[in-house]
Amino acid sequence: MAESSMTPQPGDRAFGEIYDRGYQHYTGPRLGRAHAFRALTGYSMKRALGAKKRWTAKVVPVLLYVAVALLVIIPLGIQAFIDSAEVLQYWEFFSVSWLILGVFVATIAPEMLCSDRREKTLILYFSRPITRLDYLLSKLLATALLTLTITLVPLAIFWLGRQLLDDAPVQAMGDNLGDLGRIVVVSVVVSAYLGALGLMVSSFTSRKAIAIGVIIVAFLVASAMAGVLQEVVGNQDQKPWFALISPAQTIDDFSGGVFGNVQFDIEIGEPLSAWTNGVAMVAVVLICCAIMYWRYVPED
Amino acid sequence: MAMASPIIEAPSVAQPVADPVISTVDLTKRFGSFTALNQIDLSIPRGAIGLLGPNGAGKTTLIRLLLGLAKPTSGSAEVLGFNAFSQGIQVRERVGYMPEAECLPSNATAADFVGHMAEMSGLPKTVARQRAADVLYQVGLNEERYRLIKGFSTGMKQRVKLAQSIVHDPSLIFLDEPTAGLDPPGRDSMLELVERIHHMMGMTVVLSSHILEDIERVCDYVVIIDSGQLVLAQPIGGKSAEGAQLSIQIDGNAEQFIQRLNALGIHDARLRDRMMGLPEIVIRHPSDKAYDAVRDTAVELDVALVSMTGRTRSLEDLYLQAVGAEALDTDYYGGV
Repeated sequence: MAESSMTPQPGDRAFGEIYDRGYQHYTGPRLGRAHAFRALTGYSMKRALGAKKRWTAKVVPVLLYVAVALLVIIPLGIQAFIDSAEVLQYWEFFSVSWLILGVFVATIAPEMLCSDRREKTLILYFSRPITRLDYLLSKLLATALLTLTITLVPLAIFWLGRQLLDDAPVQAMGDNLGDLGRIVVVSVVVSAYLGALGLMVSSFTSRKAIAIGVIIVAFLVASAMAGVLQEVVGNQDQKPWFALISPAQTIDDFSGGVFGNVQFDIEIGEPLSAWTNGVAMVAVVLICCAIMYWRYVPED
Repeated sequence: MAMASPIIEAPSVAQPVADPVISTVDLTKRFGSFTALNQIDLSIPRGAIGLLGPNGAGKTTLIRLLLGLAKPTSGSAEVLGFNAFSQGIQVRERVGYMPEAECLPSNATAADFVGHMAEMSGLPKTVARQRAADVLYQVGLNEERYRLIKGFSTGMKQRVKLAQSIVHDPSLIFLDEPTAGLDPPGRDSMLELVERIHHMMGMTVVLSSHILEDIERVCDYVVIIDSGQLVLAQPIGGKSAEGAQLSIQIDGNAEQFIQRLNALGIHDARLRDRMMGLPEIVIRHPSDKAYDAVRDTAVELDVALVSMTGRTRSLEDLYLQAVGAEALDTDYYGGV
């Protein structure tokens, strides 16, 4: 071997570099409260999906994404081969995917709040340039955005797929833009609604397992309770209002109403209008925020 | 631990300083009928500040108020020129905080979490990651920074907590009992780090502790709080004549010795205690004349002068003077 190849040469990066590992003051910009809010939102979303955690933390979210993907891909596949087949309507998506959405929210919402409470990380967040309300709104936004990835994204893909299967895709897209708008509205409201409910339950405990169990059981019990009350109460005018107790029924009625598919039940009567359901869902979001605020903003 | 009674006159609780980094006026915090802090008036200069007091004295409450994390019952506080209550966001942008309790996420790596905390303090993402790596290196965590925090020892966790408090290069940091739970070598290296942060990184450090030794080693100014009351706020270990004393041990009649000193014009001589069976006489503000008078009195009375020590006022003296001997238990020596 030639000697020259062993000798460090000027410009050779492996040799002759001096690293200054002394402390350097930071002189760059400080991006303030809005940046902190965004950073917390992004970090919370990543952590809830198991990013930078062991693979086991990623299993449930991945399975749920796969399940919801199949839910829209299979009908599109069938429609690709059978023109007249419309296996899934937009408004049916939430009825069919209800269980997946419930489990998804029950998985991510406790991850947003419970860990910070259990591991007392809250004090470190509150010593940063954010307020307690910022913290809560950031967590709500993170939960709602993540829920949108399992509501809006698959539905938007489903909408796009249906237009592409049309003989004149571009014209079909223009003709059906209204459906896309309705998909966005329903997805945003449903995501905020489910996210707020999940977070509100999670704000009462620092144990993730308890929060997950309570959310799932509460959703199921609420649905059962709404059904029982609708059966038991004789007054026909009151029956549709009991649907608001059940998140599943509320979402179902809301999405059906927005897409103009009001399903009249001979036992219960005509469901509440989309507006009424929408206002009720927004009210639930606000009530959940107020409860969380009360939980996180102590008297001192 | 029985200690000698204080012989120094009580100084004023706190003197105003020029360009204070922290100032409070009548700061009071009550939780129901319990008063955690009572009418605290402080004016703290830049430097290494020791916040000393027994557990439950109100140190953590004071820090929480200064960070704008709690509202005072009455009074006001300014930190770095910002109102701590109406401008809490601005204060927290410029201040770091290391809590006493465990507060780290177990399921995150040190690099990831400290980087996230840097972003939370307003640093851009790429800079935050770089600074997290640099600061973790500065506190002694190099390759370990990529490991999950749940596998860390107590000392390593304390270092991560320290790193997250300085990652955004604050002007002022509050360290709440940073040596809690550490063994002697760990405690030593943590105090060394705190000294480095103050001297090499130029940050003003407020070190809250109930251990005299920690404060005395690191700090040049002390604030003593007891039962929610501000007891004392002043520099430590100054060479001023006010704090200087001359301590004498003699083998003879101490009262007679003091009378003779008084006759020679030395009026600040007091009998302090008997150490190892020998009386100790302390002279405040000793001038050259005092040294001559001691020598002449010893010769005149034919008394053996066992020891003669000049010393400045120690933190222990300050604490004794402020709180009283009965309050100084072994806890203040870190259980030693």
